[in-house]
Amino acid sequence: MRTLIFLLSCLFISPLLAADSYRQIAWEELIPKGWDPAKEFRDLDLANLKDSDPRAMEALERMKTVWAQAPTEPSLAGKKVRLPGFVIPLERKGASVTEFLLLPYFGACIHTPPPPANQIIHAVSARPRGRMHSMEAFWVSGTLEIRRSETDWGNAGYRLKVERIERYEEPLRK
Amino acid sequence: MRTRAILRIARLSAFSRRSTLVLTLAAIALATALLIGVERIRHDTRQSFVQSVSGVDLVVGPRTGAVQLMLYAVFRTGSATHTLRWSSYRALADHPAVAWAVPLSLGDSYRGFPVLGTTPDYFAHYRYGDKRSLTLRAGRTFERPFEAVVGSEIAKRLGQTIDSRLLLSHGAGNDLLPEHGDKPFTVVGVLAPTGTPVDRTVHVSLESITALHLDWAGGAPLPGVTIPPELATKFDLTPQEITAVLVGLKQRSDAFRMQRFVNAFRDEALMAVLPGVALDELWDTLDIFERALRGISVLVVLVSLAGLVATLLAGLNERRRELAILRSLGASPLDLFLLLACEGLLITAAGAAAGLLLVTGAAWWLHDALRGAFGVELSTLLPSPDEAWLLATILSTGLLASAIPAFRAWRMALADGLTPRQ
Repeated sequence: MRTLIFLLSCLFISPLLAADSYRQIAWEELIPKGWDPAKEFRDLDLANLKDSDPRAMEALERMKTVWAQAPTEPSLAGKKVRLPGFVIPLERKGASVTEFLLLPYFGACIHTPPPPANQIIHAVSARPRGRMHSMEAFWVSGTLEIRRSETDWGNAGYRLKVERIERYEEPLRK
Repeated sequence: MRTRAILRIARLSAFSRRSTLVLTLAAIALATALLIGVERIRHDTRQSFVQSVSGVDLVVGPRTGAVQLMLYAVFRTGSATHTLRWSSYRALADHPAVAWAVPLSLGDSYRGFPVLGTTPDYFAHYRYGDKRSLTLRAGRTFERPFEAVVGSEIAKRLGQTIDSRLLLSHGAGNDLLPEHGDKPFTVVGVLAPTGTPVDRTVHVSLESITALHLDWAGGAPLPGVTIPPELATKFDLTPQEITAVLVGLKQRSDAFRMQRFVNAFRDEALMAVLPGVALDELWDTLDIFERALRGISVLVVLVSLAGLVATLLAGLNERRRELAILRSLGASPLDLFLLLACEGLLITAAGAAAGLLLVTGAAWWLHDALRGAFGVELSTLLPSPDEAWLLATILSTGLLASAIPAFRAWRMALADGLTPRQ
């Protein structure tokens, strides 16, 4: 009788334990502390520069290079994490997505540079994950890896082995 | 026991009035066929499009629209508005972030099928479906100019095999096109079926395309100038312009930066699209039409069910005596209700089954035509889960609709008792 109660309680506790095993992180945690891309631009008075000013264009180019060298946070390698993001489907099996990119913000606006290398996650799933439209928001849980870059054009990138996906619902405003 | 009796009587009753009901059944069959058919074509077309490209990070071409670029670079339909220079292609291929870049050149056709000029890298890097590579069913890939590798559909339809001779035409989408009659091509390879537009494409080398147009200018042969094929190969056949490039990156997360690089390229007006995003854009555009089609199909189903209700209601008056006899044999008003409802459901089910057969037959018949014309693979087997759900909805709506004559019968049974009013 007692063993039965013990086993039953194990059964009830285990899903709770599983749910807690993903650490919810914010996108800022993917950036190593101490990396300050803005320090190059402190001397520029960006607020008073027009978009078409050659100094602004040159600053944009420099920013793009700096963001391209964006380093990864090594302590996150191999960790189980959960974070929300906007998806760009890369590979589909039928109507279901098997591989996608996860971004911190909506849209790929022409006026802003693309996110820096440490703010894009390349997510791969072993099994198809259902329908995803470009720029839809999802909570993605899985194991984060850091992949060494094979190019000298940029730095290493984040890769996520997807284990769970939930649609992102906006909490109702009270 | 009672249910079996009701079902039996319902079946026999409907069958005895089959001459009246057969039209209703036909209407339901056609409506079901329309609804299921629309759903199947929609689903399979999407599937075929999605399966056509895999493992490609960016599709690059001259600045046009994303959907248009995808349509002609990957699906080989529509036309290009401009070309891109070879020097721009080289700048792209030499970029440190790029793992491979396959150039594509479109513009010629063979008996209505598109001709694609490319490099042998195409066969190594092009993937479809679930990252599947192209395989040769027979022969080899092209090595010298004027050699061609054909897709399986072309081989099947036109009976081309190894060593067949092909005469290519300049332009696409028309029957009356000028032919490159002096430079025939030889088939050296046939690809295995893929269920994508690759099956209906003739693949040749880029050098062959350049050689074909050496003595042409502005879309027509230069008068008085002919360069025979043997002499053509002596020229420098590096292409000057191509139509599009398929790009694979070393790191997939570099896609956005590469896209910016291409879009901001100073030497030429280019654009790069991510295939997944461009496809979503295409579906968004088509979504309205798909919904309209589906709405019309649903209306047609409702109309046919309304016809069923009308037929059953109209026949009720003549059946008053029949219902009274059934009551005298021990049937309650509720039994009569169930009897009519069952009749309606049986007719709906028979109509839906007939409609499904119709769709399957049409799918069999159109399968090859759709594959040849568009590269769309239509499934001809059992209904998919979505279709099964639609069928279930039709049946339950039919059952609900039958409640109207059933209710009428119930009321009549109560009012008439055992002496029907004629």
